[in-house]
Amino acid sequence: MNGLLDFLGRIPKVLLFAAVAIIQVALIAMMVVDRARVLRDGTEVTLATRPVDPRDFLRGDYVVLNYEISSLPAGTLKDTPSSGKGTVVYVKAEPKGNVYAAVSVHKEPVAVTGNEVLIRGRASGGATCGPDNMSFCEDLRLRFGIESYFVPQGEGREIENARNQGKVTVVAAVTRAGRAVIKRLLIDGEPVYQEPLY
Amino acid sequence: MASDLVYRQRLEADLLRWQEDGVISGATAEAIRAQIKPSPEGVTIATVVAMVGGLLIAAAFLAFIAANWTAIPRPARFGMLLAGIIAAYTTGAFFHRAGRLHLADLCVSVGAIVFGAAIALVGQMYHLADDFAAGLLLWAVAALLAAVLTGSRGAFAIALVAGCLWSGARVQELSVVHWPFIGFWAIAAFVAWGWNSVVARHLVSIAAVTWWILCAADYVGTAGRNPAFTLGAGAAVLFGGGIALAGRGTQGLRALGRTLANYGAIVMAVAVAGAIAVGFGDWHEASRTWSLVCAGAGFGLAFLGCKEKHWAGPLLAAVSIAFALVVVAGTARPPEGDEPWLRHALALISMLCLVISGIVDDERPRVVAGWLGLAATIGAITWAVKGSLLRRAAFLATAGIVTVGLAALLGRMSRKGPSL
Repeated sequence: MNGLLDFLGRIPKVLLFAAVAIIQVALIAMMVVDRARVLRDGTEVTLATRPVDPRDFLRGDYVVLNYEISSLPAGTLKDTPSSGKGTVVYVKAEPKGNVYAAVSVHKEPVAVTGNEVLIRGRASGGATCGPDNMSFCEDLRLRFGIESYFVPQGEGREIENARNQGKVTVVAAVTRAGRAVIKRLLIDGEPVYQEPLY
Repeated sequence: MASDLVYRQRLEADLLRWQEDGVISGATAEAIRAQIKPSPEGVTIATVVAMVGGLLIAAAFLAFIAANWTAIPRPARFGMLLAGIIAAYTTGAFFHRAGRLHLADLCVSVGAIVFGAAIALVGQMYHLADDFAAGLLLWAVAALLAAVLTGSRGAFAIALVAGCLWSGARVQELSVVHWPFIGFWAIAAFVAWGWNSVVARHLVSIAAVTWWILCAADYVGTAGRNPAFTLGAGAAVLFGGGIALAGRGTQGLRALGRTLANYGAIVMAVAVAGAIAVGFGDWHEASRTWSLVCAGAGFGLAFLGCKEKHWAGPLLAAVSIAFALVVVAGTARPPEGDEPWLRHALALISMLCLVISGIVDDERPRVVAGWLGLAATIGAITWAVKGSLLRRAAFLATAGIVTVGLAALLGRMSRKGPSL
């Protein structure tokens, strides 16, 4: 570390300040560019939402979204070893009617065919069973990173009311690796919010 | 900075007195003054006012973006955040070039804060609320990078705060001991060592204590668990490891070791007093092995601090650690219904050893930690709700008589032979 600090001491400070600014700006820009890439290249998957406990309604200015595929039976994963809370799982989904529905849950990515997609999620519940709390339970609660949708102040209540009446669906863009981002939010099948790339 | 000023004032007073007494000549006094390096740039009132102004401008910038959130087009908002980061570091580079190092440090700190705010605001703008803790990690790493590249102590503090928040978020989310923080902390500790900076040493020590408190806090509220042992194990590693470092290596490494040891001693005193006040608990199965390893390592590392001519302080510290660990582990458990006199006695001996080891090593914070631990332990023993007050009075009287006898013996030994 002393060698590194000595080395840095020989570089003009202006360059080091510039390097910090460039790196931090690049990191922030990467967050946005990466999301845009998912939006542009990902497969469109329509997901049905579920009502949420009224006490969790509007936190700040974002709507809490809970999906049909957020609560699933563990299936073949039951009683197999997990990594505890937060274990990464992959949900294989296929179109059923107007929305995608879960087919199976896996610990590793599996091959998909036809219209099937693989959505990567984390077990927020149902991965801490067994004597050492390190096995999958019978039912899983999953998060896919698309559970929050930020809206302009005061517009959240309307969406939540519609959501609790089962009228809200979300079109997510999903990459081959299973990453999902929200692309459109629909009420009664009509787009209410459309996410631009940038 | 304050200790440097005190040293200069004291030296100047001594030089004048020695000259008056004829001990040194005027030329010698001047030669000594010439040997002292010029005072580093101090923080002037104008600098402090400028710092407050800078912070207010940064806060105003973020508040403006937040207030006009929906009115400003998204790309413009995004651009403003990036511009804020660039402006902060550009201004910092300008001040550094002008030799205004404190203001340059402030600008880097503001840049690190704006970067953290940018992560949160970009997450909100683009609905990237997937992993809150990962965002905190990104903030911590970027702020640490800014600190290393620019030498900013403010960015270093922000990095450690963000790192602790990251660790806290992961503990809260997963309810497990958060090992990855150790890697982040180790890098920060290396930086503090390389800088040989007082502020950086204190910051990494506080971060280490925070992590151990997070580890212990995971068990608070879990009926029958014993957070004091986890905290005690952490204190043992910091205290023992610090003493081992304080005895070897460069001046920077020794100073880092002393600071870590002092924080470890304070936490150990708190854990011992807390264990006496709260009572026994069972070890958490998940933490049993690594807590034991840490406790053993702390005890062993304190022994490593013993050297040929400097063994008494580290040895007493090791004894203090050993007894403290027995107290917080709850192993000296009496039969049901009896009061834990042995445990009380070990707690008192541990704190007394802590005070003496601090005196021998001339470490005032360790002495203060020991005295506070003694006071808190005696208070906890005296005011414990359960048991007979009369028996407790007898125990404390016996302990007092034994301690006075020990003092008399030590006094006689110190008159006959060399001091410890």
